[in-house]
Amino acid sequence: MDNPENVLIIGSGVAGMEASLMLSKAGKKVYLVENLPIIGGKIIKNEESFPNMDCSTCLVAPIQQEILQDANIEVLTLSTVEKVTGKPGDFKVIVRKKARYVSLEACLGCGMCYPVCPVVLKNEWEENLMDKKAIYVPCSGSLPNVPAIDASQCLHLNGKDKSCNKCVEACMFGAVDFSQKDEEIKVNVTGIIVATGFDLFNVQELQNLGYGKYPGVYTAFEFERLFASNGPTEGKLFLRDTEKTPDSVAIVHCVGRDEVGYCSNICCMSSSKHARFIKHNLHDAKIYNIYSDICLSDKSYQKFFDETKSHDSEFIFQSDRKKMNITKKDGKLEVSYFNGKETKESILVDMVILANALRPSDTIEELSKALEIKRDSFGFIEIEPSKIGSVDTSRPGIFVAGCAEGPKDVQGSVIQSEAAVAGILSMLDQ
Amino acid sequence: MSEKIGIYVCECGPNIADKVDIENIMDEISKLEDFKNKELVVKKHKLLCSNEGKEFLEKEINENKLTHLVCAACSPRDHDTTFINVCKKTHLNPYLYRIVNIREHCAWIIPDKDEATKKAIQYIHAGMNRVLYQDSLFEKELDSNPDVLVIGGGIAGMEAALNLAGKQRRVFLIDKEETLGGKAAFLTEQNIVQQKISDIQKNNNIKVFTKTVLDKLIGFMGNFEIVLKSTENPDETTELLAGALVVAIGYELFNSKKLSEFNYEDNDDVINSLELGRMFSENKKITLKNGKEPKSVTLVHCVGREKVGFCSKICCNYMLRISNYLKEQSSNIKITHLIKYLNLPYKEDQNYYDKIKEKGVEFIRYSDLSVKGTKVEYTDINDKKGKLESELVILAPAMIASKDSEELAEMLNIDLHETGYFQEIHQKINPVSSTTDGIFIIGSARGPANIVDAMQQAKAATGKIFTQLIPGEKIIPEVMVSEILEAYCTGCQTCLNVCSYDAIYFDDERGISVVNEAVCRGCGNCVGSCPSGSIRTKHFTNPQLYQEVKEAIR
Ligand SMILES: Cc1cc2nc3c(=O)[nH]c(=O)nc-3n(C[C@H](O)[C@H](O)[C@H](O)COP(=O)(O)OP(=O)(O)OC[C@H]3O[C@@H](n4cnc5c(N)ncnc54)[C@H](O)[C@@H]3O)c2cc1C
Ligand SMILES: Cc1cc2nc3c(=O)[nH]c(=O)nc-3n(C[C@H](O)[C@H](O)[C@H](O)COP(=O)(O)OP(=O)(O)OC[C@H]3O[C@@H](n4cnc5c(N)ncnc54)[C@H](O)[C@@H]3O)c2cc1C
Ligand code: SF4
Ligand code: SF4
Ligand code: SF4
Ligand code: SF4
Ligand code: SF4
Repeated sequence: MDNPENVLIIGSGVAGMEASLMLSKAGKKVYLVENLPIIGGKIIKNEESFPNMDCSTCLVAPIQQEILQDANIEVLTLSTVEKVTGKPGDFKVIVRKKARYVSLEACLGCGMCYPVCPVVLKNEWEENLMDKKAIYVPCSGSLPNVPAIDASQCLHLNGKDKSCNKCVEACMFGAVDFSQKDEEIKVNVTGIIVATGFDLFNVQELQNLGYGKYPGVYTAFEFERLFASNGPTEGKLFLRDTEKTPDSVAIVHCVGRDEVGYCSNICCMSSSKHARFIKHNLHDAKIYNIYSDICLSDKSYQKFFDETKSHDSEFIFQSDRKKMNITKKDGKLEVSYFNGKETKESILVDMVILANALRPSDTIEELSKALEIKRDSFGFIEIEPSKIGSVDTSRPGIFVAGCAEGPKDVQGSVIQSEAAVAGILSMLDQ
Repeated sequence: MSEKIGIYVCECGPNIADKVDIENIMDEISKLEDFKNKELVVKKHKLLCSNEGKEFLEKEINENKLTHLVCAACSPRDHDTTFINVCKKTHLNPYLYRIVNIREHCAWIIPDKDEATKKAIQYIHAGMNRVLYQDSLFEKELDSNPDVLVIGGGIAGMEAALNLAGKQRRVFLIDKEETLGGKAAFLTEQNIVQQKISDIQKNNNIKVFTKTVLDKLIGFMGNFEIVLKSTENPDETTELLAGALVVAIGYELFNSKKLSEFNYEDNDDVINSLELGRMFSENKKITLKNGKEPKSVTLVHCVGREKVGFCSKICCNYMLRISNYLKEQSSNIKITHLIKYLNLPYKEDQNYYDKIKEKGVEFIRYSDLSVKGTKVEYTDINDKKGKLESELVILAPAMIASKDSEELAEMLNIDLHETGYFQEIHQKINPVSSTTDGIFIIGSARGPANIVDAMQQAKAATGKIFTQLIPGEKIIPEVMVSEILEAYCTGCQTCLNVCSYDAIYFDDERGISVVNEAVCRGCGNCVGSCPSGSIRTKHFTNPQLYQEVKEAIR
């Protein structure tokens, strides 16, 4: 064994970060691979976390900082794992690392380079609710606070205008570096933790819900960004492309549940959180939560739900998710559904939030092939059936944690990540 | 040794340099009246946090033989540790250094350059005042014991014991009952429990004590002193040492007879889910009291849910399994579930539910109901009333915290959640750690859990212990702790009540309160509570704060 003490962690959400810090504390060298230019995962999209409405940034930023400052943790952003060979205790890993074109050492994060860049792009991380430049950070407060250049869009790098050097000129620290190359990094590790999280169900698959057709219809993450103080509207609840706030909002639970085939575990709570947030900011707004079941998976969640139900929102039961329809009527959105008596009813609102299902992350198929690990019938990473109660995957030495294994809240993700650390350390002990 | 203070002003590229007059700052600092008799080294640097900046700082500290250091730079959140780490490489004790934030507090928020400069000078001056009053502090190392006491031998406790035990770590597993296994023995998972019990018996590094409970605990992470006692003979005690504890005392079922809507006698065919589980494991089938198989069954969900204030998370799932089993036992049986909501948090649940619905099992959403023997009257969510008369009624009472939780929480000095379960130190980001270091909470003692949850939490606690209590490694307690000055302490014991970590104890002999430095986190609560002003927190003493504040608010 070359390096008996190395560990590879894929994905830097709450699960990947917790595992990295724990293993570092145990004296291991950690390679933390993240395909975005920033670490933190999905939770940093949220302004506040249920059920205590903790500020998510305050929860996670110290953890992100600690990771970036930890000498035992090598953070590889803009990276993916391409191939893993070998066996537990001695895996050989090939990581493909894309060039950032900005030096992590030299850049101070002053932000002088973005305004001067002439290329305007949609910011996907902000759910396309705002623009970014070819040199960008996904959001303010990004960590590491160092921009990346989108090489396919940058005029200098894609060759459309080699003379564009605007960001280089704007940077007083000489941090922009066009000479950076994509790299292939080879590391040897003893164990691997997969913590690549989730993505959301594509609501455009459900034509009847009007997403994409009516600007007042939002996905859950679009709404999270709207309500984020570092987001496109700095936390103001303006309807898309306007400066008007909604008088009425319908929050639809279980969107895509029938299509994905499971309950997503967290969206009753996130939808209650959304109701609370709206009420807190727009006292006179009328809010409806249209649900078909209520899933509350922690001892503290019922109270949060009860409070939301009695103070913030009217909860309406719909008997058949497939029969919901959203259309335009009198300048408003008409949400029609079948109630408990199986009769059709409807409400008129300014805004609709679709609580879309959590599904395996976009990258999971490719990654599971690279790692040669099995997935379950839904596409999540499967826990080895003969090892019930563990977080072992089908390939010994590779563990899974967080939403890569299935939908769950932050604490559920952290618990699995701590369990994966135990798995790795037990393996090293033998 | 005479004092020699180094003051280093960081330009932070243009961030600070453009917004304040750095030359002017250096000039003013160099000629401060109250530092006339002190030796000062005042310099600037383009980027102190860069590798070059850190090397510069290290060289400066060494070559100038500095006794104190002030860095006028950015927020301590960004680079306090950076500069502390530089000090650690030199002779300078890191507690004789101070960062002053002239970026966020001056350069970035004050548009007027002169004003920003003035404020920066004032803040640096305040930092210089403070640093002179700071004391060197030294980290201590304590030996730690890697062994672990696990309380409760259900699936959670057994899994924790099996994962923790190793060549260098012994585990003591106690259970108040005569046998291990807890309440997991139900339907399909029976074999897992039996397997774990036999694995434990074979493991030389696990010592099992049955019919045993905790009697006393003192100490702190790495060094707990434990007394166990036998449930049969309270005089029979065992003393142990361990570095950590895992609490896995499980759950109980809510007593449905406490609710006025539930009227049934012991000989009625009304049973709760655990009784059903027991019947099933004994007879391998579900029957009425008269031994016959039922032809109609009503399953009542959420019994006591409103009373206890939480959803038990797993009962919808096992009720569906019971239903499935009943259908297998006799396919034309009539089954009705009375549900509030259907809680299906595990990804496999939905398919299972769909399958059962296809078999003709009926689900009714109730808002109210009453049980009179096997007769169930209900009001559904549309306010329609209905009645079900079946041969067997199965209740899913809420899973509640074990009745021992309260007493144990007291003994262990850990908090309980308002639901009665044990409380995490941080629900989101530290979910299996209790409110006391070194004590972990897992399984259904922490909140409703199924077997998989309980086992994964056991592994999570194992991971925590593996990384916090490494065999042979010393533990380094917090340095910035409180101390009680013996001469002033009147022994009033006010501070004992305010300390959330139970770090203060009363020394009867000397008649004063004493801080246990290994436990104290330096929160400072006690400092404010002491009527005689005899407590101080190291690195946050009154003189230090006074010296800083008096200049900063001038
Ligand atoms: C709308 C909404 C609101 C929510 N609100 C809350 C809340 O208030 N409280 C709460 O407890 N939970 C909440 N959740 C759930 C919470 O977001 C998840 O529990 C948590 O983010 C899971 O963390 P994770 O580490 O498993 O995955 P993620 O956060 O998804 O992190 C995975 C990381 O892996 C990276 N990655 C993916 N693929 C690859 C690859 N192939 N290679 C390298 N890196 C990769 C991703 O870029 C990402 O950074 C909410 C979820 C949603 C959808
Ligand atoms: C009706 C029913 C059906 C279920 N069916 C399933 C199922 O099909 N699948 C599934 O995954 N889960 C099921 N569960 C859940 C399962 O029972 C729990 O997940 C599991 O028992 C939790 O294990 P535990 O170790 O946390 O607690 P427990 O099993 O309660 O074990 C706790 C142990 O601690 C001991 N103890 C208690 N107090 C003390 C003390 N003061 N000192 C020392 N020892 C003490 C007890 O004697 C016991 O041995 C079901 C639960 C119920 C109620
Ligand atoms: S690349 Fe240069 S201009 Fe851009 S943020 Fe970094 S330091 Fe500032
Ligand atoms: S070179 Fe030009 S196009 Fe490319 S990132 Fe810089 S400013 Fe933008
Ligand atoms: S958590 Fe709630 S909203 Fe989400 S799928 Fe489950 S029942 Fe529906
Ligand atoms: S799991 Fe189901 S039966 Fe149990 S309390 Fe929750 S909703 Fe009710
Ligand atoms: S500082 Fe806080 S933790 Fe320490 S003894 Fe005082 S109250 Fe307790």
